[in-house]
Amino acid sequence: MKILYSWLKEFVDTRLSSAEIQDALTMAGIEVSSCRFLGEGLENVVVAKILAQGQHPNADKLSLCRVTDGSSEYGIVCGARNMNPGDVVALARIGAKLPNGVEIRKAKIRGEVSEGMLCSEMELRLSEESAGILILPPETPVGKPMADALGLSDWMLEVEITPNRGDCLSVLGVAREVAAITGVKVRLPSVDLRENGPAISDAASVSVTDAELCPRYSARVITDVTVAPSPLFLRRRLALCGIRPINNIVDITNYLLLELGQPMHAFDLDRLAGGTIGVRRSGVPRKFTTLDGGERDILPEMLLIWDGEGPVAVAGVMGGRNTEVLPTTRRVLFESAHFAPASIRRTSRRLGLSSESSYRFERGVDPGGTMYAADRAVSLFSRFSSFSVARGSFDVGGGKDFSRTVTFRPARASRIMGREYTEKECGEVFSRLDFAVRKEEPGRWSVTVPPHRFDIEREIDLVEEVARITGYEEIPVTYPESGAPDFSPDDRFAKLVEDASEFLRMHGFNQAINFSFVSEKEWERYAALLAFDSSDAIRLENPISEDTTMMRPHLLMGLLHNVASNVRRFIEDVRLFEVGKAFGKSLTEGHFEEPRLGFVLYGRRLPGNWSGGQAAVDFYDAKAVASSLTEFLGAAPFHFIPAESRPFLETGVAAEILKDGENVGWVGAVRRELAQALDIPGIVYYGEIRIGAATAVNPPAAQYRAMPKFPPVFRDIACILPVHVPVGDVLAMVSELSEEIESAAVFDIYMGEKIGEGNKSVAFRVKIQPPDRTLTDAEVNSIHTKIVKLLENRFGGKIRAS
Amino acid sequence: MPDAFDRVRELSEAGLRAIDAARTESDLLEAKGQYFGKKGAISEILKTIASLPIEEKKRIGAAANEARGALESAFDARLAGLREKERLAKEGKERIDVTLPGRAPAIGHRHPVSRTMAEIISIFQRLGFSVRGGPEIEKDYYNFEALNIPKDHPARDMQDTFYVDWPGGDLVLRTHTSPIQIRTMETMRPPVRVIAPGAVYRCDSDVTHSPMFHQVEGFAVDRNTTMADLKGLLTEFCRMMFGPDHPLRFRPSFFPFTEPSAEVDIRCVICRGAGCRVCKDSGWLEILGCGMIDPSVFGFVGYDAEEHTGFAFGMGVERIAMLRHGINDIRLFFENDIRFLSQF
Repeated sequence: MKILYSWLKEFVDTRLSSAEIQDALTMAGIEVSSCRFLGEGLENVVVAKILAQGQHPNADKLSLCRVTDGSSEYGIVCGARNMNPGDVVALARIGAKLPNGVEIRKAKIRGEVSEGMLCSEMELRLSEESAGILILPPETPVGKPMADALGLSDWMLEVEITPNRGDCLSVLGVAREVAAITGVKVRLPSVDLRENGPAISDAASVSVTDAELCPRYSARVITDVTVAPSPLFLRRRLALCGIRPINNIVDITNYLLLELGQPMHAFDLDRLAGGTIGVRRSGVPRKFTTLDGGERDILPEMLLIWDGEGPVAVAGVMGGRNTEVLPTTRRVLFESAHFAPASIRRTSRRLGLSSESSYRFERGVDPGGTMYAADRAVSLFSRFSSFSVARGSFDVGGGKDFSRTVTFRPARASRIMGREYTEKECGEVFSRLDFAVRKEEPGRWSVTVPPHRFDIEREIDLVEEVARITGYEEIPVTYPESGAPDFSPDDRFAKLVEDASEFLRMHGFNQAINFSFVSEKEWERYAALLAFDSSDAIRLENPISEDTTMMRPHLLMGLLHNVASNVRRFIEDVRLFEVGKAFGKSLTEGHFEEPRLGFVLYGRRLPGNWSGGQAAVDFYDAKAVASSLTEFLGAAPFHFIPAESRPFLETGVAAEILKDGENVGWVGAVRRELAQALDIPGIVYYGEIRIGAATAVNPPAAQYRAMPKFPPVFRDIACILPVHVPVGDVLAMVSELSEEIESAAVFDIYMGEKIGEGNKSVAFRVKIQPPDRTLTDAEVNSIHTKIVKLLENRFGGKIRAS
Repeated sequence: MPDAFDRVRELSEAGLRAIDAARTESDLLEAKGQYFGKKGAISEILKTIASLPIEEKKRIGAAANEARGALESAFDARLAGLREKERLAKEGKERIDVTLPGRAPAIGHRHPVSRTMAEIISIFQRLGFSVRGGPEIEKDYYNFEALNIPKDHPARDMQDTFYVDWPGGDLVLRTHTSPIQIRTMETMRPPVRVIAPGAVYRCDSDVTHSPMFHQVEGFAVDRNTTMADLKGLLTEFCRMMFGPDHPLRFRPSFFPFTEPSAEVDIRCVICRGAGCRVCKDSGWLEILGCGMIDPSVFGFVGYDAEEHTGFAFGMGVERIAMLRHGINDIRLFFENDIRFLSQF
């Protein structure tokens, strides 16, 4: 909200400069985000008078002027021709730096010296375009600084008002804050009304039906009005504060809105059927045209203002076209009412119609100030326009006491803030705020809060006022008592994820963060490849763009897009991982979200290596990462089986990771069609771990076993197996054959003509570790025989002669 | 027969010459065999003197031993010399370029947001806080109602909310991590000291706003928790996060779920208070919001506001990461350009 420094000073007598006010308000919770001098760039620009004008001797298009600023005369070369001797103009003297950035220097133009420049409106940033120089009204005093002449020796404060402080959405409201901070009193302009017209009850009537939505309705009537433009000072103030001047009637209501924060509305009384005002809900759905020309769908519960025939305004939001003030208007009813915030907010939101008025009513308006605002409007208007004021006024609900009494204990303030607030300090704060204090019993006060501070309802609100007005810088710095430490399972989870991230980083992965929402359109396009069922989609009601309409079912697409965009930027090797949630529907709880760890590998195995790293990554690189991560998270024992139902992975180059029969993730080559769709030329390997499922809950501590005292025996076995036999199964079964077999590991795999099509030769080394003695040759041979038999009988293997 | 004594002399001299002339280890060994090995010429001479008188034997024996000793030391010296020469020759051949990179994948990089978040969490863990998480698709009740943000209240405008298309219509993407306050307090009695990091969502997008970003929330409730404690804790946090020479200021503000509330500014990390574009000439940067937990929030979770008091604070991780690393566009965080990521 914009607040003019000069306007503020009309309400509070303060010696603080605009910058000091900015600081003081900010430190009291009314944040002033900027404070701008309006006359910036006009420092060396003065009002001057043209004494003589002639032709430039060397240039047809230029003229030579003699001007005076009252004390000196200047010769000016000028390109414009819209001026005559005697005109009052704006002279930028040597040294001026204009608002548009132009610096004025002494210059010779085509042989003639120019000692300044005559300015146009555009050069002074008064308008977007201008023809010729600015000609000021002839009565403008010559020699006066232009900033003063234009009313721009002023500062504009940009104030950010938090939603709880609706009372500060006005010059008066901010002035009250300045007064409280500085310990002075607010100055309310006195109203001076000469009620010289007919009795108001003869001209109009007001009846409020829905009083809970309209606790107070005040109004004044004026007659014999002439609709005309407002005086310059008023139009300028409105314009500077961002409101377009319309005519003297509408402008006065807007002026009061800015000044007192009281939204007002002016009805053309002659257009109000029967001269009556009623306040009640719509009752039925209906169409209604507001004064901006919009046709609105009014719902039954919305509060309307009615005349004798129908609705004339959406209460507190916007008036109707049917009764707006026109150039021909002669009689005006000024409405100055109070409407219930929640009702206005609902109406404004449902209609999608927000106004300066609804903005204030939503946040609260002083219910005690409606009559004063109506009176002030008429009184101020009478200073520059002549009309008759109807005798009397309407003030339905005006007899109510809108103040509120709240209990306050100074000790409570001290306990919450951690600073001792004396009774004297608290009393001083309340007195500055115009809160009345009655001491009920020792340490327990009744504080009566004026109606404009409708935000104060509870003791804590008063505690905040005490802390705020005395200043937060007065609060000491202490440290919390350390009670029993708090442990949470999420601590361990956070550490595991952090460690897993570091593991990946050490293995050359960069960490990515993608949005959790994705484009449903894209998922639809590749639905079959992504195993995406649109009935499982969790959609946003109000996505910010087409690309972010649905919560992601898994992490693949984000990472795949990252690979694509990096490849486009000529990055050949991409290793990325991401920790984030996947979302979906579930039968039990409706929806689920689950933390996942996804990773992609693309390009060479050891990028950036000069030797041995040129080979492309393959499945086994990705599997190693998946396997290490799974082990790391504590999912042992786990194993990999061929994945059959992950359409986004290449069949045959994809594995599921299982732990106790439960899936904890998957890894494989991304389907070529998907990668190609994103213009990725090579094969992308990708894995995704379900972190929760893979993480061991309370894993037991590892238990020590004595190291074997006897030497192990190694046996190398080479065996020709049908190509479809999973070597993982072979190794697992070999390891299970005998207690003495500690491990079995493959060291070579060969496929080729020598062993015949459909076969592979697998060479592996078995480590036989006797626990308590050296094995005899016969014992070792018997184990060897068992292995050979297993290979032959179970897997159809043929042992190769060594 | 020539005098054996003279013969030893001759052999000794010839042997030394042969050792000297040896160019390889095998030349050397040959010389040894020929002159002073077990079957060498000197040994042969000693065999022939058995019949000589004792005096003569002594004289020749001593000369032979002396000759052998001299030859052996010459041999050892020559052997060492040859080996050293050989080692040097080999070393020249085996010398490699140690400036070439090692054979391993280059170390990757953590996302600056993740790194910043981890740092914030670790500071608060050291200050006695434990981590808690919560859902990102959240009930309206936890995201708003129980945080004292009723429906039809302008405070809802402070956060542009994403609504989830859902029967019943009460699911939103959480707009802040504050719902974790409610979820924690519902299940725990004081004292609590919790830090709650996570992704949050707001319907807003420009150079400083992203529809998804990250927050870290913290809160503590106990019998005597005060605003002064909050000031102390956050002062300590900022000292650890930004270093010691960044003064803080606390100024009153408004959040529906805390009262009194404060906004915390840190002395601008760019201009150190002189005024610059980043701090909009104020010399201060807003880095977090905080306050004393509102009694009505305690009402929702069944805490007695007369018995317990608590504070809460929250900060935007991207904002802090942007300030620390001089990043001027929040969207860079979500593009995952490796040229960007590898800078951190």
